[in-house]
Amino acid sequence: MSRVVVCTWGTTGGAEELLTLARGTAAALDATLGWLVLGPAPHDLTEIASRQDVPIVDRIEDEKLQSFGGDVAIAAVAAYARQHDFRLMLVPQTFDARVLAPRVAARIDAGVVMNGVGVGMEGGVLAVTASAYGGDTRVVYALDAGRFVVGIVTSALTAAPAAKPASAVTRHCPVDLAGVEERVRVVARSEAAGPRIEEADILVAGGRGLGEKANYRLVQELAEALGGMAAASRPIVDEGWAEPARQVGLTGKITRPTLYIAAGISGASQHMVGCAAAKTLVAINRDPDAAIFKYARFGIVGDCLEILPALTRAVKG
Amino acid sequence: MALRIVVCAKEVLDPDAVNNYALEGRLVIGDDGRSLTQSSIPRLMNAYDEQAIEAALRIREAGVQCTITVVSVGEGQDILKHAASLGIDEPVAIQADSGTLDQHGIAKLLAAFVTSRGGADLVLCGRQASDDDQGVVPALLAEHLGVPAVTIARSVEATAAGGELGVRVVRVTPDGDETVTASAPVVVTISNELGQARYPTMAGRMAARKKKIASVTTAELGIAGEELRPRVTLAKQFVPTVKSSCEMIPGNAEEAARALIARLRAESVVR
Ligand SMILES: Cc1cc2nc3c(=O)[nH]c(=O)nc-3n(C[C@H](O)[C@H](O)[C@H](O)COP(=O)(O)OP(=O)(O)OC[C@H]3O[C@@H](n4cnc5c(N)ncnc54)[C@H](O)[C@@H]3O)c2cc1C
Ligand SMILES: Nc1ncnc2c1ncn2[C@@H]1O[C@H](COP(=O)(O)O)[C@@H](O)[C@H]1O
Repeated sequence: MSRVVVCTWGTTGGAEELLTLARGTAAALDATLGWLVLGPAPHDLTEIASRQDVPIVDRIEDEKLQSFGGDVAIAAVAAYARQHDFRLMLVPQTFDARVLAPRVAARIDAGVVMNGVGVGMEGGVLAVTASAYGGDTRVVYALDAGRFVVGIVTSALTAAPAAKPASAVTRHCPVDLAGVEERVRVVARSEAAGPRIEEADILVAGGRGLGEKANYRLVQELAEALGGMAAASRPIVDEGWAEPARQVGLTGKITRPTLYIAAGISGASQHMVGCAAAKTLVAINRDPDAAIFKYARFGIVGDCLEILPALTRAVKG
Repeated sequence: MALRIVVCAKEVLDPDAVNNYALEGRLVIGDDGRSLTQSSIPRLMNAYDEQAIEAALRIREAGVQCTITVVSVGEGQDILKHAASLGIDEPVAIQADSGTLDQHGIAKLLAAFVTSRGGADLVLCGRQASDDDQGVVPALLAEHLGVPAVTIARSVEATAAGGELGVRVVRVTPDGDETVTASAPVVVTISNELGQARYPTMAGRMAARKKKIASVTTAELGIAGEELRPRVTLAKQFVPTVKSSCEMIPGNAEEAARALIARLRAESVVR
């Protein structure tokens, strides 16, 4: 019987959401569900495994897996893949997974697809639905015979418990990593301190419509008044008006706040993939035909340089 | 000895044009149900790949003796002309039907090409192609070549400590910048943080006209058709619909602002 294995490392988010998706896929394939955890596990590992009806959790623990290093993690997963059969390995698409998934796939001679948003059967064939053109289109890739490693964007998934919880068995899978050294050496890190926009409940984002760097302050002031964080579109990050860690979108952060206020942002698909999952999206744009209004719950047509300070006053008043 | 740099560049449909067509509801999927065939959408070099060429040119300008080859798998010749006009040494087209190849096949061809040239010290790629957004070819290529991959670079510097070639790369990570070093050969992917890629000069354009684009076939690379059989096949493509339900808040800035905050408070979205 074939297997669908979810692979996570450390406390990467999205594990439970992905296990829910994988459970459905395993059922459709008449396969069993597995969970491979590299390095330190989330503290609630057994609870999650039981809620998601995972019969067996495989763990690879090694001194070298205490923090994520590309070469070691890839060697560990590839070694596991040689010892254990599966049809499909699903990974939550984190920054590190972007490297891990294709490298593991090449090493074990499997196919690879990233940006997956769903997995299922299409006309009797296993298929992944992924986004392309920054979200302008969806593509359905058929996964022929053989093994596949698939990256799934978990921010749009929701976790649902299984009908019957299971009691998971943990297997320890030793792999020999003694000979593996990181070929890429980290010599310096500038830790971005403080909270991250991915975790913020309220985000106020500014775009090119702000006109100039000094006006980004208006975004920061409203964010502060609301107890939220300031975010940005890519062009103004490229211009140096905001730091890269604040970029929302395809090549920035995928956020899921309760409230997202977009000021002077046109609503290009590559931006929207990073904020379309917001519960309430507010758009401020002087162009009534701007695409952003298609995604918004509330819209204000006008000059964001006037509306942002007016909002800050309204919040404080 | 000169540093051998190979830049991998892909031709894509202009993402801004695709975006505009999609927003206007005019993006059409071809009769095959799989591809975008609108001839009015311009084709150009993937923007990250232009920045990868820029990274190579900056290495040269930093005083490093190097040869810069730009290679593309597929039909597009115009992007190689563009590359030539930027002053790179050698534009190479690998002749293949990109419609039937998957990333795995593309990476195989690129690896075979690099190997056929006796290797490269530095392979530069874009972080992802703006059509498929996959970002997997550079990692697959690195595996085929048996070399490390450093992703999402904002700057790349060639180093030669103790005569050993290598790179020093600043990566943009979710936790901030990270500076890493690796020995050559190595694959590095370039991100937009590198900054604006240059435009060709008039002289560059003139020189490019005379430059011949080298052409390589899969047979010359010693790759049989079977090895290029795709594992992942595009079954269909569609344009997702956006359910629009925007409530416009009227009034001048002050009125609209107060009305919006009142609505958000009523719905307990803000306190
Ligand atoms: C492969 C790829 C990846 C990408 N990744 C990302 C990404 O991660 N994140 C991202 O954001 N983008 C990304 N982009 C870029 C994206 O396609 C858009 O170009 C970008 O999002 C546009 O940013 P913007 O809305 O700030 O600027 P613009 O598109 O220039 O929009 C400015 C808007 O402001 C409005 N405006 C102007 N003045 C005012 C005013 N005074 N008051 C109110 N409104 C005003 C205008 O009407 C316009 O709608 C990517 C592109 C590609 C090809
Ligand atoms: N057909 C191709 N020819 C040359 N390079 C390519 C090709 N396809 C992808 N690449 C390289 O791989 C990067 C990532 O592509 P992808 O994995 O398709 O997102 C691109 O930015 C290019 O540098």
